[in-house]
Amino acid sequence: MRFRTETRISLRHLSSRPFQTVAAAAVLALSSALAVILFLLTQGLRDGLIRAAEPFDLIVGAKGSPYQLVLNTVMLMDVPIGNIKWSGYAALSGDVRADFSVPLAFGDSYRGYPVVGVGDGILRIRRGASERKWLEIAEGRWFGDEFEAVLGARAAAESKLRIGDSFRTSHGVVLEDEHEALFKVVGIAARVFGPYDRAIFVNIGSIWKNHAHGDNNHSDGEDNEVTAVLVRPASYPDAYSLAVSFQSDAEKQLVFPAQTASRLFSLVSGGERFMSVIVYSVAVCSIFTTLLVLYWSNRDRRREKALLGALGASRGALAAISWLEGTFTLAIGALAGEALGRTGAYAAFRFLGGSTAIDISVPMTFKEATVPAVMFMAGSLGAFVMALAEKTGDAASLKRM
Amino acid sequence: MTAQLPPFLEVRQLRHCYSQPDGSRVEALSLDHMSAVGGEAIALVGPSGSGKTTFLHILAALIRPTHGEVLFGGRDIFAPRQAGAHWRAMSVGYIFQDMNLLPDFSAIENLLLAAEISNVSGPAATERANSLLRRLDLWNQRGRRPADLSLGEQQRAAVARAVIHFPSVILADEPTASLDAENAGIVMNILTELCAESRTLLIVATHDEAIKKRFARVLQLQRPRAAENPEPVLPEKAV
Repeated sequence: MRFRTETRISLRHLSSRPFQTVAAAAVLALSSALAVILFLLTQGLRDGLIRAAEPFDLIVGAKGSPYQLVLNTVMLMDVPIGNIKWSGYAALSGDVRADFSVPLAFGDSYRGYPVVGVGDGILRIRRGASERKWLEIAEGRWFGDEFEAVLGARAAAESKLRIGDSFRTSHGVVLEDEHEALFKVVGIAARVFGPYDRAIFVNIGSIWKNHAHGDNNHSDGEDNEVTAVLVRPASYPDAYSLAVSFQSDAEKQLVFPAQTASRLFSLVSGGERFMSVIVYSVAVCSIFTTLLVLYWSNRDRRREKALLGALGASRGALAAISWLEGTFTLAIGALAGEALGRTGAYAAFRFLGGSTAIDISVPMTFKEATVPAVMFMAGSLGAFVMALAEKTGDAASLKRM
Repeated sequence: MTAQLPPFLEVRQLRHCYSQPDGSRVEALSLDHMSAVGGEAIALVGPSGSGKTTFLHILAALIRPTHGEVLFGGRDIFAPRQAGAHWRAMSVGYIFQDMNLLPDFSAIENLLLAAEISNVSGPAATERANSLLRRLDLWNQRGRRPADLSLGEQQRAAVARAVIHFPSVILADEPTASLDAENAGIVMNILTELCAESRTLLIVATHDEAIKKRFARVLQLQRPRAAENPEPVLPEKAV
């Protein structure tokens, strides 16, 4: 019998029993979809963290937890560790090892959107090693005066603030504790695909003035403080030289945000590894379940296979038919699992996107397809062994016909 | 130029025993000798348990006998060991009591599939299938699945399937048992006609006296004695 004939028989057997076929494929599809979702979520979270940290080469902040500094400065989460003196920023901006540095001041918000006081240097930040600017204006202009604000793309979309609108900021995240000064929206930033899409950028001087409480001297001069300083080193050796010099600093710390974010992810992924064990266990169980369904399905077809044997089909041909039926079913399950997993991941990211600071999106690498692919191959191997062990075409079956 | 020799089937010292669940063995068939030539039609008769189906299964190489030889054209159909399926595919047409068409395939697909298994495919197979379906009055039913055919139609389709690859031997196990007298007559007429045309050896196991009377030669099998007593009953009886 030709392989084409065996394939035709297998496909006809499957299409003639759609419920059995779908049930067997669904078992594999659901478990592989679960594994795909977990894989994509993990990958998306990792990519999101790396993407968020990418524009920032070095961060200098108050001594304390480096994770908290990164969470606060890069992810705009958690509370600042503390402030550092303006002189700290001034020293960095004059350091030849720094190409440029940008002071940041956090602490205020508007309806949950963090207000970030920045220096103009923030517009010089590039995306990683590329020449593309990290922060660009989509509408309006960059702020010129104090109490002018530029909205992050998501902050603009969600807060419904438009260019020309005015708003008051709150101290911390307490809505009632509003500052008196009014900010005016003068521009909307293009998407940066990170936490800063939720930010409202203002001149750092406005933050100082807002907190001055009538003390004009607080608004400028050496007494001012910044929460963190973003530093673009002049070169890689300069970055490490700066890091070494901050090791002995009692008040400040310097972190490599990408490295810290990666360590942070490793801490988080301990739970992910535990979940992986569960998901992969479910996947292995589902392969066995699918093979069991296929086994019973093959038993149901013993008469037909015995008949094919009586017509002259060899044991090899009958085994091939059984194996092809299993393989086709597993292929349907694996493909459906990949599609279902991706759809599920899109849905999960859409749901999570509204509640997380990190911009996570479904990676387009298709590495996760290795999960259903491995499940398919393992199942197909199992189906092959089962097909070889199957007793078909025996006269006993024919006698019962 | 020499004339082609007709197919020649010969059975020698054939015994077959089945194992019981308790370990004992029961002799199911005992036949010392039988020979037949191409174009012959033989009725295989005998009481229940005399081994009619077992004999047909052995002739089709579906089971290997416990003892003895089955020769076709002087060659053992069981040698080499894997030859059974090839023998069935190329030289045997088998008709079951309960039709046993493949339920997921239409009447014509059942025929073409049997042809493909026997390495007959392409336009020649389609032409042969169409011709048989017309001859057996199944042309209008060719696209229907077995469940949509009457019992008579199903058995006619089974006959067509058995002969599509021009086998040397047709083995029919009670082919008319589930048919009424009219349909049984139609099926037997077609079967004997087709075998006579192609000089195919036809062996039909039957209980039906009316069917038996159609055959010039009857092979009578008798129930073998218990395996503990190995003396076989000599059953062949030509009429």
